[in-house]
Amino acid sequence: MTADPENQPNNDPELVARTQGGDPSAFDELVVRYSPRLYGLIYHMTSNHEDTHDLLQDVFSKAYRSVSNFRGKSSFYTWLHSIAVNMTINFLKKRNRRSHPSLNDPDSNIENDPDYIAATSNGDPTREVSMHELQNKLNAAMQKLSEDHRLVVTMFDIQGIHHSEIAKILRISEGTVRSRLFYAHRQLQNSLHEFKKK
Amino acid sequence: MSDEHPMHRIIRLKRYEQPPEGYFDDFLREFHRRQRADLLNPSLGTLILERIQAVLSEIRVPAMAYAGAAAVAVVASVVILRQPGVSVAQPAFREVSYTQRPITIENLQPVSFKVEPRFDSLYSVPTPPPAAGNDSPRSF
Repeated sequence: MTADPENQPNNDPELVARTQGGDPSAFDELVVRYSPRLYGLIYHMTSNHEDTHDLLQDVFSKAYRSVSNFRGKSSFYTWLHSIAVNMTINFLKKRNRRSHPSLNDPDSNIENDPDYIAATSNGDPTREVSMHELQNKLNAAMQKLSEDHRLVVTMFDIQGIHHSEIAKILRISEGTVRSRLFYAHRQLQNSLHEFKKK
Repeated sequence: MSDEHPMHRIIRLKRYEQPPEGYFDDFLREFHRRQRADLLNPSLGTLILERIQAVLSEIRVPAMAYAGAAAVAVVASVVILRQPGVSVAQPAFREVSYTQRPITIENLQPVSFKVEPRFDSLYSVPTPPPAAGNDSPRSF
């Protein structure tokens, strides 16, 4: 699933205008369009399905209340992602750090992914890692990252958002995005060295 | 490039973690339900915000604007006048004595420009010697 807004038939401005004109069904279309992407963004930040669900509902509620103030200076995609990022960061600051992760099961397509096969066998048939073991290790490694680093890893590595778009959403420079990615990857490499492809 | 970083391929596997099937179908229904609940049971913050908006909408803006502008002008004037180095020039007053007898013109004689003959000697102008054969005195 790519999150590149340029690859979409983009009638967001029309839907936004209809919403601002008082047509709630237009906003429903935006919810349907963006909920999977925003779910991924929030889920990989919180590592908890229930928290993600509540937070995502709050994000769309806030967006619906604020859409009358949206002037189109950025794309709706960027604007909505900025709301989600800010609310997620605030949520993580308040959340009890003892909160348990509540991870979704990977779907069955993962078993056909060559990167998954390579990561779980790592060229050594005697050392096979179960799907859940891999998932837990990936999650633990992600949670070790700072929120800023986890954000760019989530958006770039998992969601496939371009550097330039990440920079707009986070309101930082592209150089800062690349720098954060560099340090985040280095930290992940230390945590996940056993899965590194040879 | 970050794209080629070995960790990119590993971390990308997390995209397979998906919510239960049918989750996004239910998500919109849940969104509508929460919106209705918010309308029926607004939060305290929402109530306060709505009350403030209602009060602000009832205020007559032009009257407030005039009053505000006047207040700003007064305050600005006071501030400017109280600044060191700014002094207002006082007009110089001359003492006036009211014991001085007023000058009246009632007792003055009217001025006449008619020259009496008796003053001829005082206002006489040297005259050239009379012409021969003309003995009559000149008068003004």
